[in-house]
Amino acid sequence: MILKVLWMYHDVMDLYGDKGNMRVLQKRCEDRGIEIVIDTCDRGENKVLSDYDILFIGGGADKEQSLLYEDLLARKEAILEALNQNTFILLICGGYQFFGKHYIDNNNQHIEGLGIFDYFTESNPNVGRCIGNIAIEANLDGEKINVVGFENHGGQSENVTTPFGRVLHGHGNQYKSEFEGFYNGQVLGTYMHGPLLPKNPEVADFVIRKGLQRNYGEVTLEKLDDSLELKAKEVMLKRMHVL
Amino acid sequence: MLVRLTLWICKFIRWILVKMGRGGSLPGNIALKMCPSILSYIKYPEIVVMVSGTNGKTTTSNMIYEVLNKKYDKVIGNRRGDNMKAGIATLILANTKMNLCVKADAIVIEIDELNVPKVIDEVKVSQFVITNFFRDQLDRAGEMENIVSKIENALSKYQGELILNGDDPNVARLGYHRENTYYFSVGKNEESHQESKEASEGKFCFHCNAPLTYEYYQYSHIGKFHCPTCDFGNYEAYLCAKDISLNDSSFVVEERTFHAPQDALFSVYNCMAVISVAKRLQIDFELVATVLASFELKDGRMENFDIGRDCLLNLVKNPTGANETMKYIERDREAKDIVIVLNDNDQDGTDVSWIWDANFELIMQEDVKHIICSGLRAYDMALRLKYTNYEGEIIVKVDPDEAIKCLKDFDEHAYVIATYTALQPMRATLRRNA
Repeated sequence: MILKVLWMYHDVMDLYGDKGNMRVLQKRCEDRGIEIVIDTCDRGENKVLSDYDILFIGGGADKEQSLLYEDLLARKEAILEALNQNTFILLICGGYQFFGKHYIDNNNQHIEGLGIFDYFTESNPNVGRCIGNIAIEANLDGEKINVVGFENHGGQSENVTTPFGRVLHGHGNQYKSEFEGFYNGQVLGTYMHGPLLPKNPEVADFVIRKGLQRNYGEVTLEKLDDSLELKAKEVMLKRMHVL
Repeated sequence: MLVRLTLWICKFIRWILVKMGRGGSLPGNIALKMCPSILSYIKYPEIVVMVSGTNGKTTTSNMIYEVLNKKYDKVIGNRRGDNMKAGIATLILANTKMNLCVKADAIVIEIDELNVPKVIDEVKVSQFVITNFFRDQLDRAGEMENIVSKIENALSKYQGELILNGDDPNVARLGYHRENTYYFSVGKNEESHQESKEASEGKFCFHCNAPLTYEYYQYSHIGKFHCPTCDFGNYEAYLCAKDISLNDSSFVVEERTFHAPQDALFSVYNCMAVISVAKRLQIDFELVATVLASFELKDGRMENFDIGRDCLLNLVKNPTGANETMKYIERDREAKDIVIVLNDNDQDGTDVSWIWDANFELIMQEDVKHIICSGLRAYDMALRLKYTNYEGEIIVKVDPDEAIKCLKDFDEHAYVIATYTALQPMRATLRRNA
């Protein structure tokens, strides 16, 4: 089996250790003898997005993020084509916001989104920044698991109809809100970094399975020794009084 | 009247605290509550050097202090790193006479980046040194751009000299088309490389947004850069280090050979900041060279302990600092053990995701026999190492005392790296184990 991943804007959207997510996908595939290719795609680079099983965009600093959204908008058709061809998409923070209708930043600047989904994000100076450790109960195609991470965002995302999970501790899509992220079966967007995948091996394997699905159908992954991963998660769940 | 009353109370509280054997920034804190602008009423000596930046500010300001102390009778400085406004106020007011004159020939101030706007309007700084700006504690300080633009705004009324790291685009932009700016730089050397693989900020020109191009990188985004479309980066260096040899940590500035306290590039950069200040103040290079060669901070910054064998302790708080420390450790080719203490208290930064931006692959060599992970986020650290394919033994000892006990069971060279709140407890533990 082979899994092809495209890591978009890897050089710019790498604010919160997001490269750790790629490292985790790579090792968890290699440990199981699954061949994995991780290509990168920079501004202006010519890549056929629908050739890939997984697209990944991380979070970036506000200024640098604003320099690449035009490049992303120009790829809207290519992204729709990838979705059409069952590519799975993982989006963290800024990447997540980009896929909505718009983003209004701290300076009241209106940044147009890809508009692929109906949610939108606005900064609201009257509420606090969503910052700190977070735990949610995620719903991964019916399977409920606890997911931990760290959130740090000023933008308040609204109008999400299918969230990634229910907030157990922390803020989520908005300041002190009930739900976190977005997931519709094919696109997973979240504010959770930390990075997301190392301490949540179930999510990492879920993403791998979703990626393999388009060429290999339902795949059962070989079990790995996740004792260290689960211990690290347990420490944080206990600290947030979720366990 | 209020100013003098505040000053008197501040000095009195300080006197009591000193009698009790305590320090801290309480006196300054109270003074600033009573009279928020008190620092603007003080008469400062001609030489007031202020040092800021992400990494190296404690070391650099202490080296400047030592240099000035050799030339002047009385030099004062916040040498133990009380670098918020209250700490700086404590330092200044404790040394101010009732006629509002500071009783010192020179002041050396280390300042936290976020405190620069609160201080620079009130304290008459003569030389403002900035070492570097790296990604650091996103949860506390926000994105780097945020910090740099705050300092940029704060500098609009500043009249003194700026002494800037000209190889850091995030720092150099503060001097763009500005008078009284002096850039220091470090020339190409054996460590310089064509590509940067390290997470960094400031890839784009602050002025015209074009991607910056580099002749070479030194580490992270530090290097010989320029903007291909505008004139950013076309400055003339005030001083440039040449003939750098990391084997004996030597380098040459204006025909004079200096030795950095550590055989590492970041140490050469810190020295260049000191030498630039010295040149502006017309201090003899001979004197500077003597201070630099024998400088030791002994505050958990590359500090040596004898625990039956040599053990080097260093503070690490962000990816760039971690990378440079690991490069330093890697230069030791003997068998070794490393303790990493990762805490996530407020002063450490509560977000530990930075460990995934740091290149721990650097120490994943055969000669690293054991790595002991410790601190509040010991398991996060161990997990980070697991994903490097490290082949030695990863041990988790959450309690730092246990970690050192475990380290003593081995007999290789020993290194301890610790985040901010773990540093002083770790020094105490290592001293107990001496």
